[in-house]
Amino acid sequence: MIWSDVETARLDAILDELIPANPKRDIPAAGAAGVAHFLSDKAQADAGFHATVSSLLRLAADMADMADKVTTDLVRQLEAQAPDDFQMLLAETYKGYYSRPDMRVKFGVGAHPVHPQGYDVERESAEILAELTAPVVARGPVFRDLPGDKQ
Amino acid sequence: MSNHDPVDVLIIGAGASGAAIAWSLLETRMRILCLEQGDHLADKDYPSRRDDYELARYGDFSCDPNVRQRKQDYPINSADSCITPVNWNGVGGSTINFLGHWPRLRPSDFRTKTLDGVAEDWPVDYHTLAPFYDMNDRNIGASGLAGNPAYPDYTPPHPPIPMGKLGRRLARGFNEKGWHWWPSDVAILSRDDDGRQKCVNAGTCDLGCAAGAKGGSNFTYWPILENAGVELRTKARVREILVDEGTGLANGVLYHGADGEVHEQRAEMIVMACNGVGTPRLLLNSTSKLFPDGLANRSGLVGKNLMFHPLTGVAGVFDEPMRGHEGPMACSILSQEFYESDPSRGFVRGYGLHSGRSTTPMTFALGGYGIDNPIAWGAAHREIMDNQYEYLAGLTVVTEDLPEEHNCVTLDPELTDSDGIPAPKITYRLGDNTRAMLRHGEERARELLLAAGAKQVLGKSDDKVWWRAGWHQMGTCRMGHDPANSVVNGWGRSHDVKNLFIVDGSIFVTAGAVNPTSTIQALALYIGDQIKTNIETLFD
Repeated sequence: MIWSDVETARLDAILDELIPANPKRDIPAAGAAGVAHFLSDKAQADAGFHATVSSLLRLAADMADMADKVTTDLVRQLEAQAPDDFQMLLAETYKGYYSRPDMRVKFGVGAHPVHPQGYDVERESAEILAELTAPVVARGPVFRDLPGDKQ
Repeated sequence: MSNHDPVDVLIIGAGASGAAIAWSLLETRMRILCLEQGDHLADKDYPSRRDDYELARYGDFSCDPNVRQRKQDYPINSADSCITPVNWNGVGGSTINFLGHWPRLRPSDFRTKTLDGVAEDWPVDYHTLAPFYDMNDRNIGASGLAGNPAYPDYTPPHPPIPMGKLGRRLARGFNEKGWHWWPSDVAILSRDDDGRQKCVNAGTCDLGCAAGAKGGSNFTYWPILENAGVELRTKARVREILVDEGTGLANGVLYHGADGEVHEQRAEMIVMACNGVGTPRLLLNSTSKLFPDGLANRSGLVGKNLMFHPLTGVAGVFDEPMRGHEGPMACSILSQEFYESDPSRGFVRGYGLHSGRSTTPMTFALGGYGIDNPIAWGAAHREIMDNQYEYLAGLTVVTEDLPEEHNCVTLDPELTDSDGIPAPKITYRLGDNTRAMLRHGEERARELLLAAGAKQVLGKSDDKVWWRAGWHQMGTCRMGHDPANSVVNGWGRSHDVKNLFIVDGSIFVTAGAVNPTSTIQALALYIGDQIKTNIETLFD
């Protein structure tokens, strides 16, 4: 982890505010899900992103001494005071959280890579297609053509 | 600098149009060479085989070259535009990451001046191109349903792909309103064909189709072409086209090769296939005593009249999961109810309502495909992801852009690619006609979604179009009979340089309101046919 334990705890608390848990569906909050590791990896490779998140964490520290003092209101203040940095953190948080196969599956999407398996989707039968398109066909042609054009 | 043996035909760009015209010219037995700035995409490099496949959409597989920043990409300055061009540079061109939607232009699209008093008529018409649309549909393996009353009769070679629950639901809504719709024509196989596997409904067409079901020219034309002896030289970025000052004919190119050196390649005939941004960029970079303002630019129209298809979207929240991530992401059904002009609407020409499917959770949370606008965080985030995401079905309003000279591609005075070649700069703003069309389309899409049973409709309503939506780059070297008012003639030959042809989207006269690739390839096949027909007097 590129940040200190104190900073990481604060970051986890902020992440939990960005994507809260839904215990009824067994969906964890972003901090609890470990998104900070994804962000740390990105920060290791991207000095600009490291500086952005570190700056936000310093700003948060000025507002709250301890991680458990991170509240929704505090995160709103972060968003208001450093909107560009906040948007960058938010986007990367969404990437880190939703790119996980175990998280996709909670939203009805397969955990597997989409190739080669894909998804089974049944093709509409000729009868269903005929029934659905019948009103469209009944209206007749709906395009304009010029009599002079080659036909 | 080293020399290479001269070739008969030098094609610049191995994308949709370059591949199609090479195929058309195969039977001439001319020596054909294609220079492509990118490379083949190796099977192992398709992101859809990875667990975290969605991340690639925001990194090295972004549709936006300014984000992707691969070595073969050139930067594009789009600071003065509300839409940024997107593309792919490599064998297959943008058919690598296009979405495979395959509608044709309609007969009226070729006659907008005569029918509606706007823009210019094309020097070709729908019926002239129809056999080439058919030929190309067979070559790439198009799927669709015959009998669409929005077109003169034609029959796609393969049956339609599944509309899915989402498409059926919307189709019933269109029927409720009495509006036109039809299952989408797609460049995607609905059944195995010619060694290619049918679509597995992965839903990530923009990340390249690892199955080969999508009819990218890397899977369709290029295997045939390379087997037949067409030379494909990759990592070869053309710097400028050379002109013989005595004859006024193009006689070759300078290009940066894979070895990092500049090479000269001579040719009897040059075919440009770099699309609506790359082609004018190269022409404007090819200056000489004969063409101080850029090659083939005596009309002053190279780079002018840039057209996109400005998009907006509306989504409905339904009462059951729509499974929108399953199936080709942009292709289910298409309504052309509002395609033709109707003076009562307050704008001329029209638009299509495309049923895009949904995206996977990450892309949705980040604002949707082509949009950088993350959804809300906090409690609102939970509400959206738990109670809306799985239940969404959307409609995209795809409008016809009209040609306007101030919308253009020029050369950036400072920005260059990695070889030091000046990069393109886009200047583009929405016309009033397009804005009126977008508003009308958004209202009709809301109506339709409610008719289909949506319990809530979510729209943008901020008068903005999708930013990363410059897929369709047209009009910057348009066709025409009059050399003062067009760059190439009715079969793609430069008015100014008789052995220079252009076959890509830049030669479109108008944009229509449909995805252009089927027309780009049909035009390339038509131009190839005209070259063969006129071979004895080709450069007269």
